[in-house]
Amino acid sequence: MENTVVKIQNLVKRYDDLVALDHLELEIKEGEVFGLLGPNGSGKTTTINCLLSLLSFDKGEIEIFGKKMTPVSYDIKKDIGIIMQNVAVFDELTVYENIDYFCGLYITDKATRKQYVDEAVSFVGLEDFLKFYPKKLSGGLLRRLNIACGIAHKPKLIILDEPTVAVDPQSRNKILEGIEELNKNGATVIYTSHYMEEVEQICTRIAIMDKGKKIAEGTKDELKRMIKNTETVTIEIMELPDSAKQQLAELPHVYEVTCSENKLTVCCSGGKHNLIRILDVLQKNDLSFGRVYSELPTLNDVFLEITGKALRDKED
Amino acid sequence: MQVFNAYMKVLKKKLPVAMIYVIVFLTIAFPMSRAGANSDKFEATKLDICIFDEDNTPESKALCDLIVKDNDIVELENDKDVITDALYYESADYVLIINKGYAEKLAEGDTEEIFGSYHLHDSYSIVYVEQFLNEYTSAVKAYLAGGLDLDEAVKSAGEAVSVEAEVNYESFDEDNSSADFPKAFSFYFQYMPYILLSVMISALCPILLTMGRKDIRYRTNCSSVRPSSYTMQILAGSALFVIALWLIFAAAGAVLYGGMYQGKGWYAVLNSFIFSLVAASIAVLVASFSPSDRIVSLITQVVGLGMSFLCGIFVPMSMLGEGVLAAGRFLPAYWYIKANNMLAGSEPYDGSKLMQYMLIEAAFAVVLAILSLVVNRVKYTGGLKAKGAAKAAA
Repeated sequence: MENTVVKIQNLVKRYDDLVALDHLELEIKEGEVFGLLGPNGSGKTTTINCLLSLLSFDKGEIEIFGKKMTPVSYDIKKDIGIIMQNVAVFDELTVYENIDYFCGLYITDKATRKQYVDEAVSFVGLEDFLKFYPKKLSGGLLRRLNIACGIAHKPKLIILDEPTVAVDPQSRNKILEGIEELNKNGATVIYTSHYMEEVEQICTRIAIMDKGKKIAEGTKDELKRMIKNTETVTIEIMELPDSAKQQLAELPHVYEVTCSENKLTVCCSGGKHNLIRILDVLQKNDLSFGRVYSELPTLNDVFLEITGKALRDKED
Repeated sequence: MQVFNAYMKVLKKKLPVAMIYVIVFLTIAFPMSRAGANSDKFEATKLDICIFDEDNTPESKALCDLIVKDNDIVELENDKDVITDALYYESADYVLIINKGYAEKLAEGDTEEIFGSYHLHDSYSIVYVEQFLNEYTSAVKAYLAGGLDLDEAVKSAGEAVSVEAEVNYESFDEDNSSADFPKAFSFYFQYMPYILLSVMISALCPILLTMGRKDIRYRTNCSSVRPSSYTMQILAGSALFVIALWLIFAAAGAVLYGGMYQGKGWYAVLNSFIFSLVAASIAVLVASFSPSDRIVSLITQVVGLGMSFLCGIFVPMSMLGEGVLAAGRFLPAYWYIKANNMLAGSEPYDGSKLMQYMLIEAAFAVVLAILSLVVNRVKYTGGLKAKGAAKAAA
């Protein structure tokens, strides 16, 4: 985790008066699985397009593998693999022909290419579908084909732009395991997704973007420490008198107490033994209760607290 | 060559559509061109006539002999049902009865009720046969009035009505065709633009659309393949398809021609090659607008049929109105047909004019290719800008 694979400095991208990327700074180290999170329209895809030199930008600099990235940096491009949200394969070519075609855009030697294609086929588990045309494949198999087309040439940097959209749980699991395996084999991964649990599962470091800016960056734990909530205690309860509610609210580290539909929720910020103190208040008030849960904040809580809870209804 | 190989695989998938057009065209073109070779020969129509000679005299036999000369005689039983069946099933066109007393009445110059007949109502055979009988009996009467006896009058009348009118085939076009590019053969090349346009738009266009699909281009642009190399490989694939298609038509033409082309035949081949390039340019331009399959099919029909009717492919130019021809001048097929007509002898041959026509065609190909480049450029830069702005605004 020493060398810097991607370095984005002071990146600005404008569409007339609209600022899509606002002085963005990012640094991704070798061997990382870097999660890029953000609501719709936050600038994730624009960042990736600029990174791949598919889009020109107004200001800033992008370095990949220590070299400046330009549209003609073919020596850099040969070590990058891209897996998009849309399945980008030829309907007229079989599974094997598709993987061979996209691998052939990078690898010209026939023998090496054959070996790489066979390895990619086995990696995504499509051995039984080599002669199938994409239209005959299920959604999950199509996604796996899409991934095989993106990684067959053994890239050092893999960019995955929401690769698990509309995929069944089994296929999603297979894809995530595959990404972890690629990472173990030495590839650096940039992963964008709306599924927080996926990002939490596989990403070693995460950046949260909003309105073209990076608003937070760090490991999962670092991000969780950035928010107010550190523990949420939920208790099934028949009734909660106002006096007991008041006592709970006055406990140290408690900042929010709500009770609805026989469910008491107490949000805490920092502190130890919060659960014991809450249960103690309930016992002192002679209140009977059922099941008790104590939950640590999730990445979803972090994301919502940092980016706000307002709806973002347009696609990124 | 990875892109070229993929192009060929996609082409293989799209080829059946093109081959249907090619096979249908060749199946129709061969008999049509051969039929065209005989279109200037006249042959009088013969009727199937049944005669019942109830008079049975030398005069009635003379009439029968005269009818037999220019028609086919059908033998039928003298039964009303048999006769009506024969007329209904068209095994006979006309049934003539020479009534008893025919010779006697004719000698007296009386032609009333000397014939009876069975025929289909409003049949053209009535007009033909009855006109002949009127002419014949009028001639006999005239010769009798002139002082000849009945025997001589019948003989002279027979000679008079046997005179055949000379029929000349008149074409709207002046036929100055030469042996190395006969007019009949020119029809093969005349219909070729329609099929070239149809095949190019319906086959080449979908291949280009597949190879230029946005998500596939995105992936390719991310790879280490240079855009110029990608474009060159697509161009090479398209060129191979266009040349192969043109060669099929040129070779089929040679079979129809009866061997290797000679003289003006080579100019027709060159003309068809230039038009192949024009048709390919049209397909490339259509593809640059990224239409759906349904729209491609619609454009194939509109462009193919539109040019065919406006430029003299289906209807000879000599039969088209001034307005249509004026509009046709703005279309490449017009200049193709002009060149083909000149080679076929419909207009006086002028080498420099022929070259001029072909150069105008070639200019169309160049202009269409430039237009495609402009459309692609605008689409790429404009589209990317608009898409990016929309996303950023979201």
